Amino acid sequence: MASNAVDRVLGGISKAALLLVWPLSLLLFAQWPLRDWVHAYSREANDIAQIIFALYVAVAITEATRRDTHLAADVLAHRYPVRWRARLARLASAAILIPWSLFLLYSGVVPAWNSLLQLERFAETLNPGYFLIRIAVLLLATLVLVQALRDAFRPRRDA
Amino acid sequence: MEAAGLWMLGTAGIVMLASGLPAWIVLVGVALAFATAGIAIGMFDSNLFTALYSRLVGLLEYDLLQALPLYVLMGSLINRLPLADTLFRVGARALAWTGSGRALAGLGLGIVLAPMSGSAGASASVLSHAVYPRLGCRGAEHNLALVCLASTLGVVTPPSLVLIFLGDAMLRAHTEATNVTGLVGRIINTQDVFHAALVPAAMLLAICVAIVWLTHRAEAPESLAEGTPPSDWIVAIGALGLVVALLAGVALGHLYAVEAAAAGGVALSAYGLATRTLTRKVLAEALEDTLAITGALFALLVAATTFTLVQRAYGTDRWLAALFTQFGTDPAILLAAVLAALALCALVLDAFEMTFVVIPLVMPPLLMRVPDATWVAVLTLLILQTSFLVPPFGYAVLMVRSRTASRIPNLALARALAPYIAAQALVLALVIAFPRMLWREEVTAQGTPVSGEKAREMFEKQLEENDRNEPK
Repeated sequence: MASNAVDRVLGGISKAALLLVWPLSLLLFAQWPLRDWVHAYSREANDIAQIIFALYVAVAITEATRRDTHLAADVLAHRYPVRWRARLARLASAAILIPWSLFLLYSGVVPAWNSLLQLERFAETLNPGYFLIRIAVLLLATLVLVQALRDAFRPRRDA
Repeated sequence: MEAAGLWMLGTAGIVMLASGLPAWIVLVGVALAFATAGIAIGMFDSNLFTALYSRLVGLLEYDLLQALPLYVLMGSLINRLPLADTLFRVGARALAWTGSGRALAGLGLGIVLAPMSGSAGASASVLSHAVYPRLGCRGAEHNLALVCLASTLGVVTPPSLVLIFLGDAMLRAHTEATNVTGLVGRIINTQDVFHAALVPAAMLLAICVAIVWLTHRAEAPESLAEGTPPSDWIVAIGALGLVVALLAGVALGHLYAVEAAAAGGVALSAYGLATRTLTRKVLAEALEDTLAITGALFALLVAATTFTLVQRAYGTDRWLAALFTQFGTDPAILLAAVLAALALCALVLDAFEMTFVVIPLVMPPLLMRVPDATWVAVLTLLILQTSFLVPPFGYAVLMVRSRTASRIPNLALARALAPYIAAQALVLALVIAFPRMLWREEVTAQGTPVSGEKAREMFEKQLEENDRNEPK
């Protein structure tokens, strides 16, 4: 099933991203001694952490959708029949998330591509890698789009 | 049409409650619907959304947000390692002499866990699972009220995620207001909000401890009969020592909140590895939780960014600034009106949505008239926390009820919650009456509030300048 294949791919990307929180923690933890004791490299540590953070959260939103952990006030809706809620979720994927992510991709591709061609650097420190943050937004939009397409059009028995 | 931004808020609140859809999807959906309507009637053109990409890049390169996954990692590790259980058991045993050891330990666990969850909703979810089942079945409405209270502690207890983000939102609002009015002095920052929140938070916690003790006295003694090995005491004292040290490091300015969160994550991982409790399975679960919860919280930021873009396109910020001038020369009336509006919004919106959707809209014009940003920030925190706790619609109350599948009647729960709400009202009244009780390192931007009409003119000018500087 295409739907299962998509789910496996998204799951694989999430698994790869899980571990990014370790280098993120270590780099931000290291900022303190680097700044106060070594008096160097703390801004480099921060810039690398920023790139890791951007990639991490780009994947995290879709993982939250896959694991159904998004915050929701389901005080009334938990009484609705399961079928209604499933239909509502499919409708929301099709009518909200697909157009939103498509528009984000449409408006972001050119600036991200230009940034990549220039290998854009962080403005304050001139450290390399800023273009990855721009690309991370496209990654976020792409993953939301793929997940929304899967949720909106998967066979009803999977719902 | 400028009021459309408020209609957006109302619509979002109603759709969230009625549909049960994730809040971030509702916010994006309402923004898309109103943007489409605005384009259709010629209020603005379809280029509006081209600014969204730049705004999201801005979110991803924002230093402060790095704290988000780190706090969540700390919360997940505490939850997944046997630490939460150890802390609860040791706390219950240590406080057994009070006759309400379990309840006080539950409150203590809430104080440790809630600030890391990031929102009243997430806290309610974690604490309903981690604390409620351990409280026993005596006085069910009191237990439920205790979990509701503990779920809201993340709003006022430093250095919580909510405080970090509210501090940042206040910094932006204060900068905007100060640019407009030309008041002298330094701009409020997150550290200022931490410091200022300490005294009211400590007072509130002290009163709540007293209430919990009074309402849960004479617990069944056999429930505390199980032993606690010395190693548990060492772990509990070490964990509390770490929390206090990190809190002190942040409060005294030696550590940034992000660094404190990173240190906490590293220390917890080291503890898990040293005690061999951080097994491959536990690690995988903690990392999966961290990724998913971070995604849930960050999705709200992404949605709020989309939502506020459309609100600004309608000119709701300008309209509100003009509306605020109609409150005459008395800033106290304006402050009361804004706090009341925040309290109402908090009945349907969580702390994160409030911070990213509502605060940027109402705070800049308010701070032009009421320049003590630190005081306003603390009042905002207290009013949000109180609102989350008001039955039957308070956000934390609804979430805890939903998570615990409680069938306790509303009246019984309201009676159990009443002392906590009274305590919050008391602390709120004290902060209103005695602004000097807040801990402040330096004097933040102060001065004579400008007149309503002058404020409106200057605010319009500032917004035009913001529009020119908006990334395309």
